[in-house]
Amino acid sequence: MNYLGHVLNHLRKDLRLEWRSRDSINGMLFFSLLVVVVFSMAFDPTASASRQIAGGIVWVAILFAATTALNQSWTRELRNDVMDAQRLAPSPASALFLGKALANMIFVLAVEAILAPLFTIFYNLHAVGPGWLLALIMPLGTWALVVNGTFFAALGIRTRNRELLLPLVLFPISIPALLAMVQATTGVLTAELDSIQLYLWVKVLISYDIIFTTVCLLLFETVLHAE
Amino acid sequence: MSRPTPTRIVTGLWFAATVIILVLGFHQAIFVAPMEATMGNVQRIFYYHVPSATAGLIFPYVNLIGSLAFLYWRRRDPLKALAADALALAAAEVTIVFTSIGLVTGMLWGKPVWGIWWTWDERLTTYLLLWLIYVSYFVVRRLSSTGQTQTLAAILSIFAGIDVPIVYMSIRWWRTQHPSPVFFGGPDSGLDPSMRPAFFLNFAGWIMWGVFITAFRYALERRRQVAEQNAALHAIEASLEIPHQ
Amino acid sequence: MTWHSFFDLSTMEHRHLLFVYVGIWVVQLGYLSWISWNWLHTKNPND
Repeated sequence: MNYLGHVLNHLRKDLRLEWRSRDSINGMLFFSLLVVVVFSMAFDPTASASRQIAGGIVWVAILFAATTALNQSWTRELRNDVMDAQRLAPSPASALFLGKALANMIFVLAVEAILAPLFTIFYNLHAVGPGWLLALIMPLGTWALVVNGTFFAALGIRTRNRELLLPLVLFPISIPALLAMVQATTGVLTAELDSIQLYLWVKVLISYDIIFTTVCLLLFETVLHAE
Repeated sequence: MSRPTPTRIVTGLWFAATVIILVLGFHQAIFVAPMEATMGNVQRIFYYHVPSATAGLIFPYVNLIGSLAFLYWRRRDPLKALAADALALAAAEVTIVFTSIGLVTGMLWGKPVWGIWWTWDERLTTYLLLWLIYVSYFVVRRLSSTGQTQTLAAILSIFAGIDVPIVYMSIRWWRTQHPSPVFFGGPDSGLDPSMRPAFFLNFAGWIMWGVFITAFRYALERRRQVAEQNAALHAIEASLEIPHQ
Repeated sequence: MTWHSFFDLSTMEHRHLLFVYVGIWVVQLGYLSWISWNWLHTKNPND
């Protein structure tokens, strides 16, 4: 079976498991909704400046939501010694990682699909700049968070205080991507950035995604066989 | 501390030289170097802040080298890998010490001179991030299960090495678009000749101190590792009931 | 500067200068002491 086949198998497995229990998605959805409401209290959405901060708030909400999902994305591999079976399986380790990262990506994108209209309603948003760019920025930014998050969640499988470790390690590493996605989103919403700067932020996001996807794929085997 | 082996002699000499240079540096910095025209005496913080902050940027790379060496030797020569990990750990601790000093002294300098404790320009943000990442490095080392600790920490070190330059470049680019209200003149933009002895003495002194303390910490870690191995060997032999010779 | 003015605590500038110098020495010597203490309390493998 070729590489893509392995990845799709892993992906299908995760999607099926999630569909049966749905705890990850439900947790994420509810948590994101709460975050939106709390931020609406904290930062008055009706103020004229709300358009400036909406980009940052959206991404912080997605970051928190993604972290709750990523934390438990590997726990289903811990029961019944599934991890040992994964190590022995003939599929390459990076295929396992990629399949799981893609599954997490789909979950977070599903939550975003619900979160984005909510934000638009609560903050009376409409993009002053090129709105179609958001369809590019959101997946790129989400992938940056998900790929590193899946990797570090795997890093922390056997650690105590797993839930603490993931944000502690993920957030500092993700700062360049967070900066880029927030700046790009705010640029689209407020049209304060000219198109050169806006596209440069998008390029920063793309480069970040490429660099860290490569690093994660190359290093995952070491993490899987860390003992 | 019985026999004067070559290592001991060199270490002793290096430490003595370091202390002498630092004492001379202190004398130069406080008593000899002239008072700075605009900032006054508080500018003397510069002589201690800049070497510490620079050291905080050098030792992460020592940690990275140790981590890469560990990953390389992990399956090929476990004993060398263990030594590499000891170096990585020592360098990481020293990084945190110097980075913390750099951050705090920078803030103590910034408040009287610029009126602000902090600003989010590329240098400070990257420095804070470096500190955060190395704190998470130690959290990973502490929380992970034995056997995995060294490998996971080494991987995190690689991520840190890749990420820190990216952070610097992205925030620098961002800041040139939105210039910060405070202008950082750059303390090493043209150093007055009368200040040079103070600066160079302290710079050399603190880097030498960093090397010494890293080497000492490395030696301590190696001693701990060997003690642990001996204890494990002892336990195994005891369980096999082979008389220990 | 003189020793007297170095230990002068009147202005924020002076205090911060003193905190920096003393603080750095305290931290570095503290770290050195910690390593030394552990060095002396770890069994020497050559013994």
